[in-house]
Amino acid sequence: MFRKILIANRGEIALRVLRACRTLGIEAVVVYSEADRESLPVQLADEAICIGPADARRSYLSAPAVISAALVTDCDAIHPGYGFLSEDEGFADVVAAHGLTFIGPPADVLERFGSKEATRRLLGSHGLPTIPGSDGMLRDDLHALGEAERIGYPVLIKPSAGGGGKGMRMVRTPRELESALRVCRSEAKAAFGDDSLYLEKWLDENRHVEVQVAVDRYGRGVHLGERDCSVQRRHQKIIEEAPTPALSAAARADLADRAIQAVVAAGYENIGTLEFLVDGEGNAFFIEINCRIQVEHPVTEMLTGIDLVALQIGIAAGEPLGLRQADVKLNGHAIEFRINAEDPAHDFRPGAGVIERYHAPGGPWVRMDSHLYPGYEVPPYYDSLLGKLIVWGPNREIAIARGRAALEELLIDGVITNIDIHRALLENDTFLEGRMTTNLLDRVGGAAFLAAAAAGARG
Amino acid sequence: MPEPRPIDDAADSGHAADHAAIDRLASELLPALIAKLGATGLGELEVRQDGWRVRLRRPADGVTRERRPAGGAARSQPGHSGHGHGPLPSEGTRQARASASTNGSGPGPQVAVGPGRGTPAAVPADGPAMAVSPAVGMYRPDPESRAGRRVRAGDRLGVVDMLGVPHEVVAPVDGILGEQLVEPGDAVEYGQELLVIEFAEAPATEA
Repeated sequence: MFRKILIANRGEIALRVLRACRTLGIEAVVVYSEADRESLPVQLADEAICIGPADARRSYLSAPAVISAALVTDCDAIHPGYGFLSEDEGFADVVAAHGLTFIGPPADVLERFGSKEATRRLLGSHGLPTIPGSDGMLRDDLHALGEAERIGYPVLIKPSAGGGGKGMRMVRTPRELESALRVCRSEAKAAFGDDSLYLEKWLDENRHVEVQVAVDRYGRGVHLGERDCSVQRRHQKIIEEAPTPALSAAARADLADRAIQAVVAAGYENIGTLEFLVDGEGNAFFIEINCRIQVEHPVTEMLTGIDLVALQIGIAAGEPLGLRQADVKLNGHAIEFRINAEDPAHDFRPGAGVIERYHAPGGPWVRMDSHLYPGYEVPPYYDSLLGKLIVWGPNREIAIARGRAALEELLIDGVITNIDIHRALLENDTFLEGRMTTNLLDRVGGAAFLAAAAAGARG
Repeated sequence: MPEPRPIDDAADSGHAADHAAIDRLASELLPALIAKLGATGLGELEVRQDGWRVRLRRPADGVTRERRPAGGAARSQPGHSGHGHGPLPSEGTRQARASASTNGSGPGPQVAVGPGRGTPAAVPADGPAMAVSPAVGMYRPDPESRAGRRVRAGDRLGVVDMLGVPHEVVAPVDGILGEQLVEPGDAVEYGQELLVIEFAEAPATEA
């Protein structure tokens, strides 16, 4: 096992990894940019080291700065969290070259699963149904138009690298495709330094369901069930829950079994998430794999009682999984609410500022993963996630009731948050009946959604 | 506004002599003056010697000059010492903490030195400046970056090696090199204070 880990991230996930290290008895060093000097993970870490200015390209995204920080603080492994350098095979490679361990899949595995389009074909060849898409990367507009015609509109333009909805557009006509390609290329280039794009068939009424897997170095793997992440806003997840209300128990088990068999056969290693689109008939199509710990991992932890970050660290250290599929029990129902500093009444405009008051909800089966504290200044440079509220119940109804109570108790003053959207969603019939699709919010927009919820509450 | 420069750059012949004089004043006279000013509670002290004039002035109404924090280790923030975890700073950060405490930022006297040859003494508004680390890595000062060396803004003072790539440490202002806050070969973090620059003066626009 590792002696000392460098946590190369910020915010709630830096805190989450720090807590896992504490549990495992591993020392932890947190890196920070000048904008995060006063952050909670920096204050709680055994050590903290400043690696650059606020600009993430010169701090959290700088591979040399992060690796140098690990070397001078005498760490033996680097945990990248999510985002930033977490799925950069070049980074993983250089980390290994300096005698350190990258906590995630080894560089060669990351490389094999690095291209979304190639991964779709790879796992398709191992028996997963995949979404129809373009034949390789789009070479030019003419190629894109031809491929879109073959797949059939609507289609989704997707960047090969990255995530979080950047460089993604759904288009319904050749005309829309042509203009969206330019926007997507420049967005993808700016966000990931790679402007290669591909196309996927777009399903209008789709559900987003993903399967959590864990595979050790010796090729033994288990799945840890699925999560439903259908409540989204422009391809960014807002609420995640498990199990998915979209599939029967038998269909869920079948999907998870096929997912773990395919990734083990394809040589995956460490924890990962396979994302699927599920259509109105319950057909699941594989779209991509995320080779990192995910924001919504606590949902699975609540169901299984398994610490996914600790598991991830153990696998990276070369430990055997120590779990058989029969050991993974999926109990009850969990829901996660992403609390963001964004204004739902104004197109989810991200905000920043000083947290004047903060109260995290408590009580049984309520978990708050957040780096907030009163007086903390939310910097404007990074993503807007303030924390995650996770609740558990023996069934979906009780989990929703606990979610409602916890959201009522949650208090964040000083920055505008999306808490009202969550409260509104928990009064929304489509959500309550478990019929939500990924366009639930985008169809009407945040402001209209809030207004409708307010009208419903009055009526 | 740029004050008259304490040393006339053009007068190369007088340069070395001035340099030596300032060194001598700094090492012999200043410590005594600082002690005296501290003991008396006076607001200002001025001494003339060998055509030089040295003036010490206490900061107005006890306001201490806020020094740029030297990275996480030198902060008085919790986490490194406040949470009772038994913080274990790295070699580099431990060094920085020790330096920061001995280098103190209490309401000490400010120092100004200028040639008393008919020109008014240069009294920099802001006391010593700091050369800081441009990267996280190993600090290697240049051999000539010793205390007493006169430097100009932009002069290279050493490098910080980040994975074998040198990143230059440069003087942010004109002045005289003072204390080295970090030993050669020590690990340093981004923004960490490395070298004191005394008699700091904002870079003057050369005529």
